[in-house]
Amino acid sequence: CYLILSFPARRNLFFLQRQKVLGIYRNMLKTIRQVPDEADRKYLRDWARGEFKRNKNATEQDAIRMMITQANNHLEELQKSLALARS
Amino acid sequence: MAARVLQQCVRSFARPSLRLCSGNLAVRAAAAPTAALHRPLSFAADSRRTRWLGQSRTPSVGVLCRQYGDLPPLTLETIKDRVLYVLKLYDKINPEKLQTTSHFMKDLGLDSLDQVEIIMAMEDEFGFEIPDAEAEKLMTPEEIVQYIADKKDVYE
Repeated sequence: CYLILSFPARRNLFFLQRQKVLGIYRNMLKTIRQVPDEADRKYLRDWARGEFKRNKNATEQDAIRMMITQANNHLEELQKSLALARS
Repeated sequence: MAARVLQQCVRSFARPSLRLCSGNLAVRAAAAPTAALHRPLSFAADSRRTRWLGQSRTPSVGVLCRQYGDLPPLTLETIKDRVLYVLKLYDKINPEKLQTTSHFMKDLGLDSLDQVEIIMAMEDEFGFEIPDAEAEKLMTPEEIVQYIADKKDVYE
């Protein structure tokens, strides 16, 4: 996803967003690491990888923002289930 | 040969503890080694303890048998081997094309998501966290080795 944008300001925004997405991917993988069962971990890793790769080439701001929100929701859900499972 | 020596140490350390905690005549008789010293069987607690301290035969290799549960020390060479090993296990990398200087994105055709996964695999392998800001800059195996060597204070 390397688009050439005319305004530098927008380009910076673009790369900021990219960093945000990569950060979410990292957090997702870190949370998945805590899942107790190995088979579940593999499934979740493949699912996360598939989701992120599928949408890798999205360009519209709104679509990207929506996907970021969805990813954060998934992440939160996973963290809550893990906390419940641990208690 | 080393295994036999270690076995002997473990057995000789195990024997005194058996003698200490058992008060039963039969158990003590069973614990005493057949070919070794025969102790007179008395049930006075103090005398039992002093007799153990006085008469226990120290094994010939004794104190040298101590084992510590630590990892082997890190050198630049071992770090490089482990990094390359982890990378070869990664399914998206072609092991033949892998060099310490191969750039993940330019030479190996990976994308930033793969790079995140690789850095996380390195975190798992070496057992410490790599913060986001520094993780995104590591683009070749050589850089990863350098970073880990910095963090773990490995000099050569």
